[in-house]
Formats: sequence, structure tokens, C-alpha cells
Amino acid sequence: MKASKDKYKRIPVKSMKRETGELSLMSLPAVIWYILFCYLPLFGIFFAFKQFTPKPGESLIKNLFINSRWVGFDNFSFLFRSADMPKIIFNTLFYNSILLVLGIAIPVILAVFLAELHSKRLSGLVQMVTVLPYFLSYVIVGYCVYGFLATDEGQINHLLRLFGAEAVQWYQSPQYWRFILIITELWKSTGYTMVIFLCAITAIDRSLYESAMLDGAGFMDRVRYVTLPQLQPTIATIFILRIGSILNSDFGLFYQVPLDSNSLQPVTQTLDVYVYKALMQQANFSYSAATSLFQSVVGCILLIAANTIIKKIDADSSLG
Amino acid sequence: MKKDAGEYTGLERSSYSGTENLIASVIFVMLSLIVFLPILLVFIVSISSQDSVTATGYSFFPKELSLEAYRYLFHSETYLARAFINSIFITVSGTVIGLILMCPLAYALSRREFRLKNHILLFIMIPMIFSGGLVSSYMVNTQMLHLKNTYLALILPGLCSTWYILILRNYFRTAIPESLIESAKLDGGRHPQIFRLIVLPIAKPVIMTVTVFLMFSYWNSWYPALLYLDSNHTELYPLQYVLVNMERSIETITKDAQYMSGMTSYTPPAVTIRMAMVVIVILPVMALFPFFQRFLKTGMTIGAVKE
Repeated sequence: MKASKDKYKRIPVKSMKRETGELSLMSLPAVIWYILFCYLPLFGIFFAFKQFTPKPGESLIKNLFINSRWVGFDNFSFLFRSADMPKIIFNTLFYNSILLVLGIAIPVILAVFLAELHSKRLSGLVQMVTVLPYFLSYVIVGYCVYGFLATDEGQINHLLRLFGAEAVQWYQSPQYWRFILIITELWKSTGYTMVIFLCAITAIDRSLYESAMLDGAGFMDRVRYVTLPQLQPTIATIFILRIGSILNSDFGLFYQVPLDSNSLQPVTQTLDVYVYKALMQQANFSYSAATSLFQSVVGCILLIAANTIIKKIDADSSLG
Repeated sequence: MKKDAGEYTGLERSSYSGTENLIASVIFVMLSLIVFLPILLVFIVSISSQDSVTATGYSFFPKELSLEAYRYLFHSETYLARAFINSIFITVSGTVIGLILMCPLAYALSRREFRLKNHILLFIMIPMIFSGGLVSSYMVNTQMLHLKNTYLALILPGLCSTWYILILRNYFRTAIPESLIESAKLDGGRHPQIFRLIVLPIAKPVIMTVTVFLMFSYWNSWYPALLYLDSNHTELYPLQYVLVNMERSIETITKDAQYMSGMTSYTPPAVTIRMAMVVIVILPVMALFPFFQRFLKTGMTIGAVKE
């Protein structure tokens, strides 16, 4: 190592070596974990280019590399020509783009107004309650939704009957579910994102507001010319990360919340649900792997593209 | 106009007038209530009597209260007690082992003199954007590591997260005075000792933050159970997965009953029991939440502020 900084010049090479050894040893357990659970599975990318035909009793490696035929991009071309795939990709993009906009806009607006509340205690309480759903699993969220939508006992059908309207078989009626799923996701995540923005607002330099007030800026002016520009890096970071996962969807939201109901499938099937079902229900390893790879590659490209574009517009807002 | 600074959040001087503040407060209180309603509904149903649910459905205003569901849960079903213990075991061991793996690595990465620092940083960041996908990790975990139907399948895959490692590393780098570590080194301190005796005590807040996030993620986890546990291994089920299955089995019961009784409406037995189980899962989260909130906030802020 070239010791360019003065303070390293005094450190003898021998102790440098010893220190590197100690630090490597401390890193080792986690590095082993990464090898086993992140890098070892990488060879599985080959599943996407093979027609997986395992022979029982033989090792995974042998089954994948020797017993299975190389089919190139056949799995991909079959997938994209299948009747379901366009719908599945549309669903994924539909939910993600709506949630991309609403999942940032609503928390920003709420945070801007919440930051101005006089009572700190009330603000803290609001934060605590609205963040809570984020820390519940989708299994629990599924039950909360079920409490409202159950056909016989559900709260909403109860109210509908009370007002003389016809009860709705919610879990058999796909037309409502785009709306229901978006509301559910917003319910779960808005509070969390709001607190992130609130923290960013609290970190804004007070003097900016004071000089804006001296210039006679009203509330909306200060939001527009001080708060929003100052929030821009945080918004950009969240935006870039979410663009990178635009083809990923939360499995729990789309599988567990609609209770895996068959009649809802046209609007609830997203790529991650397909990846799971192709693997666990149809045992179609190659299609499942091809779909995952497609998600991974597109996500990677989009992440880099979004970051590059934002870097061109405003270097401070990019991920670096 | 200037009042006690502690009363205000955000701005030194809020731009709300008295009336505006009142309106905003009322709106935020209502919003919080709306957010809380679904959780409240589950709680109320769990303490409603079965008859009341049959008569008025899942209602905020049950006709009759009853703790029967809880009595049933605590007495008859032994496998639920088992599931509770499983959940606690998985949460505690996952959190502890995760911290034991991540903290030393984060410390090593925070040291400027560590020559492999940049290599390992890249090594742990690649999986953040590129992964082998569900099929390959499933096949590796079941066929090469033989994790199917073991507790390890529920613990091992979630141990490390690059995100938490970066949070820990940033804290170690910024909050711990370099001079402290340098002088410990001059006194002959080795890195493992410095880490244990100097860094860990100072870094308590950030370690608490990561602990809280890990605990919640293990307590809430059900996907590994769905993937790696077969239906003849109910003794391994965590609470969350029991809930997943309960839903499934009651759905099928309802369908069969409707089929047999000629599609007339049929009330599945013990609806309140399911909701009582949900409450049992939520309650620890809610009870610990006020204490944890401060640490959660630290984590969320660090997560949002880039390096």
C-alpha cells in the first residue's frame, strides 16, 4: 500500500500485515455467509438457459450442467410469447408506477404539513401510529383487510347491508382489487416514508427559513423555495432505488393479501408471484429462473440509467 | 412570539397560526385514527363473542364481549404454544447471530488501514443489485445445504443485510474518534479487543437500531417457512406461518361446507380465534414499539441520508 498520508508513514509494514490479518479474520464469518447465500446461488442463472431435467439421486450440479440440455434463450422466448406474461408484466408495472408516484408524493406532502405542528408530542404520536403498519407482516395485513372484506362477516358488507345495498363477494370480484391493493400498500408504507422525509426536513438549515421569512415569503413560498429543493436529494435517492425495483413486487402483498384467490388472479398476478408459483406449484424451474433473471437484469439497467440521468441533471442528488 | 423551543418540531417558528394549527392537528389525529382502525377492528373481533360475530359480523361495536377465543388458544391447542416458542427462538437466535456476523465485518470495513476494505465492500454490494433468483437459492438451500424442514432454513438466509452493514460501518467511521482507536493501538491493543472494549460500548445506539430491525424482520418472517417447511413438520412452524395455514384451511372448510349445504351461507367455526391469534402476533410488536421508536427513527434516518 502506498502510504500517501503522513500518519501511515510511521506504521511499520509488519504491523500493517498483522492488522490486515486481524481485520480479515473479523470479516471472515460474514464473508462466508455471503458466499453461501449470495454467491453460491449465482450459478443458478444457468437454470434460465437449460431445460432442467433432473435425475433422482444425482447431485444438483450434475443435474444442472450434465443431465440438462442447453436451450439458449428458448425459455425466454417461450415465456414472452405465453398468453399470461404480458398481463403479468403489465400488472407489475401498473402497481409499481402508481406506487412510485403516490408512495413519494403523499408522504412528502404529509411530512411538510406535519413538520409545522406546534405540539411536538402530537407529532410524535402521529408518527408512531402511522409507522406501525410498516412493521406488521403481510400475513397480518391480510387479516386486517379480511376483517373489512370478508363476504359474510366483513365490516364493509355489513355496512352495505345496513344501507340496503347488495353485499359484494370481494374475494371473487377482480374489478375492485387494483384499488384495494394500492390502498393497502399505501396504508402500510406511507407512515414510514413520511418519517424519513420528516427527518430530512428537520435537518434543513434553519437560517434558510429565517432569511426566506425576512424576504416576506409565506408558508407556500417557503415550502416551494426552501423545503422541496432541500428534500430533493432524499426524494431522488428513494426514486432511483424504486426505479431499480420497478419489476419487483412484494410477494406478500399480491399473494397473501388477496388470499391467493383464483378469481382475482388477473389483477393480482405479478412477476414475483409467478416466480413463486412456477417454482413451488408447477415445478417449472427454468421459467421461474428465466423470469427472475429478466427482473434482475432489467432492474440493474434501470438503476444505472436512472442514476446516470439524475447525475446529469443534478450531481448532488445521484447515488454517487 | 418566541416560546419554549422544545415545544416546536421542525421549524423554530411554525408558520401556522392558532387556527391553522388546530385544523392541521385535527386532520392528523383523524388520519392516525384511520390508519389504526384496521388493527383496532382485529382486536375488537378477537374479544367479541362467537354469537355476536354471527349476528353482526366483524363489527367495531359487538353486542357481546368474550375472552373465549383467548381461553381456547391458551388451553387446548398445544401446537400454538409451540409455534409461539418457535417464533421467539427464531427471532432471538437470528438477531444474535446476525449481529455477531455483521458487527465485526462493519468494523473491519470502517478501518482505513484495512487493505481489503474496498474489495469486500464491492463484494457485499453486488448482491444488493444482482441475485441468482428464487430458484437457485431454493435449490442451493434444499439440495446442497440441506436446510429443508429445519430451523436453520428459517434463520440462516436472513442473517446479513448489506444495508445494515453499511449503516453500522458509517456509524463506526463517524461517531468513534480516530484518536481513541489510535491510542488503544499504541498501547498494544489488537483489533478484536479494540472492537469489543472500545467500539461496541460507544456504538450501542446504532447496534440497538439494527437489533430492532432484525427482530422485527424475524418476528414477521413467513416466506422462508412457506418455502422450506412441509406440512408434516408442523412442530417447526412459526406463528406467522400458522396464521397463513389457518387461513388456507378455513377457506377450504368454508368451500366444502358451502358445496355440501348447497351454497347457503355458512359461518366457519371460531372466526374469533383467528383474530385472537393475529392479536397475539401484533401485541409484542405494539408493546415494544414505543421503546423501540427512537432506535427505529435513527435507522430510518441513516438509511435515507446518503454517505
